[in-house]
Amino acid sequence: MRIGVFICHCGSNIEGTVDTATVAKASLDFPEVVYATDTMYACSEPGQDGIIQAIKDKNLTGVVVASCTPRMHEPTFRRAVERAGLNRYMFEMANIREHVSWIGKDREANTNKSVDLVRIAIEKLRRDAPLSPSKFSINKRVMVIGGGVAGIQAALDCADGGLQVVLVERESSIGGKMAKLDKTFPTVDCSSCILGPKMVDVAQHENITLHAYSEVDAIGGYVGNFQVQVKKKATYVDWTLCTGCGACMEKCPSKKNPDRFNEKIGPCTSINIPFPQAIPKKAVIDPTTCRQFVKGKCGVCAKVCPTGAIKYDMADEIVTEDVGAIVAATGYDLFDISKVTEYGGGRYPDVITGLQYERLLSASGPTGGHIKRPSDGKEPKNVVFIQCVGSRDKSLDRPYCSGFCCMYTAKQAILTKDHIPDSQSYVFYMDIRSPGKMYDEFTRRAMEEYGARYIRGRVAMVYPKDGKMIVRGADTLAGTQVEVEADLVVLAAGAEAAVGAPKLAEKLRISYDKYGFFMESHPKLKPVETNTAGVYLAGSCQGPKDIPQSVGQGSAAAAKVLALFSKDMLESDPQISRVDIKRCVGCGKCIITCPFKAIKEVEFRGQKKAEVIETVCQGCGLCTSTCPQGAIQLSHFTDNQILAEVNALCQS
Amino acid sequence: MSRLEELKTRIKEALPGLECVIGWQKGYDPLHNTPLFMRTDADVDKLEWGPLNVHNPAVYLPTFTGKKVGVVVKGCDSRSVVELLQENLINRDNVVIFGMPCTGVIDLSKVKARLAGAGVSAGTVTAVTDDGKTVSVTAGGQTTAMPLAEVRADKCGRCQFPNAVLADAYVGDPIAPAAPAAAADADLAALDAMSVPERMAFWRYHMERCIRCYACRNACPMCVCRDHCIAQSREPHWLTQDDTATEKLMFQVVHALHLAGRCTECGECQRACPMDIPVLALKKHLNRTIRDLFDYQAGVDPQAIPPLLQFKLEEDNIKERSW
Ligand SMILES: Cc1cc2nc3c(=O)[nH]c(=O)nc-3n(C[C@H](O)[C@H](O)[C@H](O)COP(=O)(O)OP(=O)(O)OC[C@H]3O[C@@H](n4cnc5c(N)ncnc54)[C@H](O)[C@@H]3O)c2cc1C
Ligand code: SF4
Ligand code: SF4
Ligand code: SF4
Ligand code: SF4
Repeated sequence: MRIGVFICHCGSNIEGTVDTATVAKASLDFPEVVYATDTMYACSEPGQDGIIQAIKDKNLTGVVVASCTPRMHEPTFRRAVERAGLNRYMFEMANIREHVSWIGKDREANTNKSVDLVRIAIEKLRRDAPLSPSKFSINKRVMVIGGGVAGIQAALDCADGGLQVVLVERESSIGGKMAKLDKTFPTVDCSSCILGPKMVDVAQHENITLHAYSEVDAIGGYVGNFQVQVKKKATYVDWTLCTGCGACMEKCPSKKNPDRFNEKIGPCTSINIPFPQAIPKKAVIDPTTCRQFVKGKCGVCAKVCPTGAIKYDMADEIVTEDVGAIVAATGYDLFDISKVTEYGGGRYPDVITGLQYERLLSASGPTGGHIKRPSDGKEPKNVVFIQCVGSRDKSLDRPYCSGFCCMYTAKQAILTKDHIPDSQSYVFYMDIRSPGKMYDEFTRRAMEEYGARYIRGRVAMVYPKDGKMIVRGADTLAGTQVEVEADLVVLAAGAEAAVGAPKLAEKLRISYDKYGFFMESHPKLKPVETNTAGVYLAGSCQGPKDIPQSVGQGSAAAAKVLALFSKDMLESDPQISRVDIKRCVGCGKCIITCPFKAIKEVEFRGQKKAEVIETVCQGCGLCTSTCPQGAIQLSHFTDNQILAEVNALCQS
Repeated sequence: MSRLEELKTRIKEALPGLECVIGWQKGYDPLHNTPLFMRTDADVDKLEWGPLNVHNPAVYLPTFTGKKVGVVVKGCDSRSVVELLQENLINRDNVVIFGMPCTGVIDLSKVKARLAGAGVSAGTVTAVTDDGKTVSVTAGGQTTAMPLAEVRADKCGRCQFPNAVLADAYVGDPIAPAAPAAAADADLAALDAMSVPERMAFWRYHMERCIRCYACRNACPMCVCRDHCIAQSREPHWLTQDDTATEKLMFQVVHALHLAGRCTECGECQRACPMDIPVLALKKHLNRTIRDLFDYQAGVDPQAIPPLLQFKLEEDNIKERSW
């Protein structure tokens, strides 16, 4: 082998604390190294040209670049060596930036460590073999999971781009949180007026198949060829017959159930269509409250339904959808305000969440758009808003900012004044975060035009007294204690990962953070990609986002899917496991351990053997550490390569 | 008919359908029994049962792949058979298991020590008898009576499975375990009591004595890699042939790790060791960890999947995430 080594300065990022020239010089002493140099920016055009030129001039057969993380530039350099005629796997990277220069200041120690890392990379490279990918065809259908505004946008853009789209929504209607909102900041336009048409477009688009009241049960396969099992939950109403007339809801005798769409501040019937603009506009029976299910007798809805759509014996149904890509757009849920016991959320009816307040403001809400407080239905005059409940609070393990609460609180203060001109709003805040186009102007309007009193400080406690809620807190700017007699207290509950998000992430095989939000592939450069090929993110499932951001991501994810599907064939990664059938004793241990079900049992001359399914294997290496025989090895990461790396490190 | 005779009858009945039945016979002197491969009725007549049946015949089963064989087992041996079944290394349809209740086998090292104490050499043994409670060894014309409880293998003192956990033909009535469920493990307790440097010194001392004969590996019924054992393999090249304590300890540690949650503590590794190196302790230590983490014991339930041979997103007793 003829190895060339390139030590990158990364401007001063590396050179600042690593003597790259010395590292290059030391590399020349390592086995099979015939050329070594330092270079200003290995990834730049002249940097890559330098590598290509050296490969040609020095007849190099393998290349090591010591620079940044392979997450960033391994593909770049692989392409470069390929352009020079080498197999792209005859290349190794040593990370002397994140692992060296950025974490230590001692130039001599850093230089020595860099030499070690280069030596390790060389030992691995010496055991590399050329690998070539195989090609496979892709299924150009896409699944969007979650029908909030982000998922709707992604679905519509993909469908307009000519793709077949399967949209899976957990609730009986799409729309997500936006469907529950009254008006939207910063323009205060009506939420259903702008979302409604999009929802209708989904229903009418010939390329979109909607599975509402459904959840993803299991996902198999890989980019280009996923098989998704969708569980269509029993609605007890045959949706092919239901016309959404609502006759059942009028007659249903079980009327006092908490309405989830109205965030449980109003009642609903056991058979229910959540809101007038629901898409699909179909009824669902809640068997936990329906008298037919609970008491075994009733059957009223079945009698009144003009189309005979009621089916009490319906069961969950699993349908399998084959798709080539998946967009996760499962949004967020709200922090449970009862966890902040000082504020009395969940204990006092007049302490509610912002989303509940949206329902009180909404003309289609339980109060018909008249603000009436839950306890006695009176119109409140003093409304206190408390921001950051379950946000930016380390003690609640919610250190992050939920992003949109400052804005919607300002919106709600404005709307309160609109609804009740003689009302007074108070807003307790930590900081005002309004860094969007027209956003700061908007919060100012709430204060200046609508007279909302903004009080910077934390509320210590909220308690009832003589039909009022007493809100006690500090005004940190004035340095005084404040006490407000409120008629209604609205808590800006922070955003949390959607219920069940980690479980879905496991099925999708994507990472999620400590809080359950899905992880993007790169926080800046790959915001809608994940580390699983073919799985993309849109909207607040990745972290709290307002509507414009969610919609933007929906479109971005759609663009990624369309780009992926612009090819007819995809290449499979050859860094996968392979079975040496001479050694394999057919015990099948690898088959049961493989988390991706990538290994199958085959017969070879009458004996059982294991075989890796090339396109399914993700190269995780679990099987290789399981196989007692060492019969299964991960290409490009063989035991011998890893041992050589360890040996190289231990020698130095 | 004695139990042994009944067992022989059962074996003879089954023999025509089998390649052979593995058991024990008298060895080269009265103190040693050796493995027996019964192919004819005459072979079956040589079958022995008693405290000298120290070997674990399960070790031979994987070598008969594709053929139907019988095996006579003690309780501990039966767990090895079950573990082999659990791991698909043998096929249930191809093995017929014969069992009898076991009251323990001797530890030859302990017997030899007794004889030495009585001033006689183990090489001069002329007769061994036992009545289930006492083993009487005649050597150099002198008979030494040794209570079985004192010269039996350590594992027998802790044994929870004196009856075969799985058998096709079981002769005799099952007996109760001799030991309480959580019997103390003296060797582990001694190692636990050592400081880390002391423990390192302990193993270094023993590894320096190891002659790298691999008897421990060859005797182990769960060591199934044979020709591909990391001890010799170049691909992958885990170990060098350097005769150093480090390489030898590396082998023992790899062996023990490969046996974690698979080892049934039959003790064959340690019994086979010509240097009396306490290698079983390494496996017992890992098994203890497996028991604590996964509440699992190897070779008890043919249907159970060993914990390290499966992939679970969330382990019951390992909390990786706290929400
Ligand atoms: C009180 C309040 C007021 C707000 N006001 C405004 C405003 O005025 N302007 C603004 O820009 N933003 C506002 N927001 C923010 C806005 O709600 C979000 O930006 C927006 O809803 C994010 O859309 P999404 O599609 O990402 O998520 P969501 O709206 O949460 O939609 C996610 C969808 O996925 C579904 N889903 C979840 N899990 C699954 C699963 N496992 N399988 C299938 N489906 C699943 C859900 O049922 C839901 O339909 C407000 C938020 C709150 C709390
Ligand atoms: S674990 Fe190893 S020996 Fe067993 S089937 Fe898989 S590859 Fe073959
Ligand atoms: S490396 Fe092995 S365990 Fe991992 S996905 Fe591939 S076959 Fe499965
Ligand atoms: S490691 Fe020792 S005790 Fe464990 S199964 Fe193998 S021989 Fe028996
Ligand atoms: S049997 Fe004893 S001496 Fe032989 S390799 Fe094993 S530990 Fe070493």
